[in-house]
Amino acid sequence: MLLLAGCGGPLSSLDPAGPAAGATAVLWWAMLIGAGVLTLMVLGLLAAGFGRPRPVREGRWTVGLGLWFSIAVLSALLAAGVWVGERLLPRGDAVVTVEAHARQWGWRFGHPDGRGGRIETDGTLHIPAGQPVDVIVTSADVIHSFWVPRLAGKIDAIPGRANRLRIEADTPGSFDGLCAEFCGLGHAGMRFRVIAHPPDDWPAVLETLGEETAE
Amino acid sequence: MTDTVAAEGVGDATLDIPANPPRRALGLHRELSRVWSNDRGWRGQVTAVNHTTLGLRFMATALVFFAIGGVLAMLIRAQLATRQGAFLDTELYNQIFTMHGSIMMFLFAIPMLEGLGIYLLPKLLGTRDMAFPRLTALGYWCYLFGGLILLAALAAGVAPRDGWFMYTPLSSAEFSPGINADVWLLGVTFVEISALAAAVEITVTILRQRAPGMRLTQMPLFAWYMLGTAAMMLVGFPPLILASVLLEVERAFDWPFFDVARGGDPLLWQHLFWMFGHPEVYIIFLPAAGAISTILPALCRTSILGYGGIVAAILALVFLSFGLWVHHMFAIGIPHLALTFFSAASLAVAVPTAVQVFAWIGTMWKGRPELALPMLYILGFFLTFVMGGLTGVMLAVIPFNWQAHDTAFVTAHLHYVLIGGFVFPMLAAAAWWMPQITGRARIRGLGEVAFWVILIGFHGTFFVMHLTGLLGMPRRIDVYPDNPEWEVLNLTSSVFGFVMAIGLALFALDLVLQATMGQRAGRNPWRAPTLDWAMSLPAPTFNFASLPGPRQVAEAAPDRTALALARGEGLLPGAPRGQRELLVTTAADARPDHVAVLPGNTALPLVLSASIGAFVLLMLAGLYALAPVALVAVAALAWRWHRGLATLAAGGAMVAVAPRLALPVQPGRGRSLTHSGGVALLVADGTLFAALIFGVAFLHVVAPGWPPPPAAAETATGAVLLVALAVGLGVAALAAHVTEARQPAGRSLAGWAVLGLAGNGAALLALALLAGWVMDDPTAHARDALRGVLAGYVGLHALICALMAAFVLDQIRRGEVPTSGAPSGWRLWQDFATATGLVAVAVVLGTAAVA
Amino acid sequence: MTWLPRALIGPGLWAVGFALVYGLHGLGCALGWSTQEVAGMTLHRLAMVAAWVGTLLACVVVVMWLPGGPDPTRRLPRIGAWIGLGATIFTLLPLLVATSC
Ligand SMILES: [Cu+2]
Repeated sequence: MLLLAGCGGPLSSLDPAGPAAGATAVLWWAMLIGAGVLTLMVLGLLAAGFGRPRPVREGRWTVGLGLWFSIAVLSALLAAGVWVGERLLPRGDAVVTVEAHARQWGWRFGHPDGRGGRIETDGTLHIPAGQPVDVIVTSADVIHSFWVPRLAGKIDAIPGRANRLRIEADTPGSFDGLCAEFCGLGHAGMRFRVIAHPPDDWPAVLETLGEETAE
Repeated sequence: MTDTVAAEGVGDATLDIPANPPRRALGLHRELSRVWSNDRGWRGQVTAVNHTTLGLRFMATALVFFAIGGVLAMLIRAQLATRQGAFLDTELYNQIFTMHGSIMMFLFAIPMLEGLGIYLLPKLLGTRDMAFPRLTALGYWCYLFGGLILLAALAAGVAPRDGWFMYTPLSSAEFSPGINADVWLLGVTFVEISALAAAVEITVTILRQRAPGMRLTQMPLFAWYMLGTAAMMLVGFPPLILASVLLEVERAFDWPFFDVARGGDPLLWQHLFWMFGHPEVYIIFLPAAGAISTILPALCRTSILGYGGIVAAILALVFLSFGLWVHHMFAIGIPHLALTFFSAASLAVAVPTAVQVFAWIGTMWKGRPELALPMLYILGFFLTFVMGGLTGVMLAVIPFNWQAHDTAFVTAHLHYVLIGGFVFPMLAAAAWWMPQITGRARIRGLGEVAFWVILIGFHGTFFVMHLTGLLGMPRRIDVYPDNPEWEVLNLTSSVFGFVMAIGLALFALDLVLQATMGQRAGRNPWRAPTLDWAMSLPAPTFNFASLPGPRQVAEAAPDRTALALARGEGLLPGAPRGQRELLVTTAADARPDHVAVLPGNTALPLVLSASIGAFVLLMLAGLYALAPVALVAVAALAWRWHRGLATLAAGGAMVAVAPRLALPVQPGRGRSLTHSGGVALLVADGTLFAALIFGVAFLHVVAPGWPPPPAAAETATGAVLLVALAVGLGVAALAAHVTEARQPAGRSLAGWAVLGLAGNGAALLALALLAGWVMDDPTAHARDALRGVLAGYVGLHALICALMAAFVLDQIRRGEVPTSGAPSGWRLWQDFATATGLVAVAVVLGTAAVA
Repeated sequence: MTWLPRALIGPGLWAVGFALVYGLHGLGCALGWSTQEVAGMTLHRLAMVAAWVGTLLACVVVVMWLPGGPDPTRRLPRIGAWIGLGATIFTLLPLLVATSC
């Protein structure tokens, strides 16, 4: 419990609030346990090495442990990684597609207004909760990176390219985001916020946003 | 490898070589010292070319840079200790973390392992020096001057500030005006000359200078590791050198390789950078693993378990580590399938690493480990490196990488790998070889205290940093006012960071005390089985008064060997002809092939690297028109360099190596060390060319902003000039081949050399006409910039080959040709220049046809 | 002494195959091969699988062609060939499952 309490925080990837971050966090805890066991195993073998000489079979160490044991562990990990990775990909079935446009040093977001136009905001991205959202990430100048740790992994904003990232928030709320790729003097302050609204309120939210930005 | 086939012609080189009659050791020592010693006083400092001197100098300089990089690390930790660190401003902070990474990678780790290899390899393999002593010195001066340029920039407040990875477009002229980025690009490339120089001579030394009878399949594992390292450096550094040159050209002359608006692509930089950057990690790890494979079995009083398995693991690592580079780029939006290839490769590379780790642990089971100081550091290595390896495996898993990438988690991981996998083994190596280097024993106690302080400081700093990263702290930020949850973790890292610094300072103090106040050590205090201990300590400049042969190699008893060799019972005793001589053997079986004469003390390397430095400084100052003048000086000095070789080669006589064994001095054709070195250098050059072709393909296929508007260059005139270029290079190649073939006869060569000169001249003329009248403005689009670079590459090589043809002509005039290696050298380079030139012409014609 | 270059054949084949498949991947995505169906899979995947299988076959041929034996100068080339085969299988295995473009 204490351990889990230490894992909180507005930017914690260990306190997931969406399916992508959730699946990745599960992967992390599983890998942590595996890594802990392997570390203890190696240290145990090392400790057992201190003592009188004993006959050793070369093949057990280099082929048995070195080759087959490690291939077994790594194959399982590869399968798990590819399987989770596939599930996180945007598949064109997003309910909403928004844009995140990075510049030195801030974020401008675009939302569909439902009538074919876009509603633009600075520093805050609005999404409906409980629905898959695709973010089209672009850059006006240097390379930045769009990251909302509690929702999903990051994707870079690269000049000349439009990258697509799938995010989803399980429940309504406010989630912190930041620029993860070093982008010069203002890098540390290049934060933003994602607000997930109840799906029923979404049309109304867009309505209000549209009015606010029109003023 | 081709040169060794001929070597089997030395039929009388049986591997049972009789011993020379014993002589007085002191007399031999004096005779050799007269020939091999450095000059006296300050002059000796600038003219030294000896591997012991330069190896130590490399390592000492690297330690100074390590200390500077460490101070920068402490500044970073001080800034991050609290949320609102007001210690440094952002501009300075960015310079400091950029310099910390760049110094640790390019000015500490790489030169350190070069120094270790240069110091140790000749001793371990049973020879007297590296293959190219002047090149060793040139490498050192380039390293020192390049490093000083970077330090001067730091002191002047104009240090690079775009991160050690220098991503474009942040590092391009638009977003990084000023010379900060140029300092990195030019300074680091200058330093890399030393990496290539070391890689060339380490390869040649290991393959051609092993003691007779030391077959490749039996040589010390350290040599296998260094051979792998050197091969990786030959292939790993060229992509970075190319990337740096392209970016510098973009910054200086506005050729758009990375500018997306004009057909460039910032991702090209990332690919080229990480094609170097990931192998770099293994380049750093392999020599450290070599040190462990040397020290561990000796401290367990046994032999290494699984020699063959470890050699296979090295082979696998050398290749696999070139298939991982994209795992630094998982978040750039590459399709998932391509990512999974690199994810799988990144996982696969853990297999050969595991093979080594388990072979080492099995060695400990097999023997009786002694808990001496080097063993403590090896245990520290195991703990740290295994954890770093496991977090590396985690980072190879794509979804986790998307979360952890560019966070403090990666900072923690890379320090576990680099400090665990390089610094701890180097500390073990220092404790192990200090008696060898100084001839003095350690003062007990201090080293052990230093070990525990370093170990506790390290893990206290970096273990919590994993969590800091998982809690979302990105890399390269200087303040985090809104995130109090990171503060305790950062403060912990900072406090323990200073603990670690204290530990390292204690370690340095221990080294100084040992070097100055330690008691005289016995000849082989560790009872190690390798030849590096078969000499008086500290090592004489010539290492061995007579060289070890098959018997000494088979015995593996350095104490007995030392005595016999000092008395001249080994091969090629003393320096009876008053020149620096050593044995060259065949690559696989180490059969005696010939006697090589090495150049003596000279300031030429210093002057040559100073003129390269002048070029770098002129470029930095923006005096682009003046910079080529420095290159003229470089060419003139290179000419003198080879003139020196030619004079040395004027022998061809047979000299006695042992009773009933006489060998020729410096055979000119094909088998010489210089020829082997030329092949190694061309491997690197070829990799650079391949990386350039990759760049052409990458931009054509992947970059946005293609296809460009039709080029004016694609006219009949252009095609004719391209054909003229190809024909000129072809004629030159023909001339070079005929010259080499007719060299033994020694007649009517001048005409062919003139023809070679003319062929290369015609190629240069065709290029000049293309550039002057036909080619499009290289600043318009990446296509034209790439064509410009291809033209520059071909032109540079045609120019080098023209100079080589002229050099052969000069040698004909001086009557040196019968024994000279120059015609085969020219033929080698001309073949390469012609082949790459034809590929370049084909690429230009092909891409024009597709468009 | 041909055994040292021979030891490089296996890992070298892996390097060629890996680069070939990665190159085909980039080319196929750029040229839109992933929308053309051939024999139950996309032209894109077919091309990559063909390159993969070709490399695997080449590795198998090298493994069979190289002589075995306890002498290290024979063992290392053969181990090299196995390294090439194993690395080619493992690193390109995701070809069968992951999304291509
Ligand atoms: Cu940014």
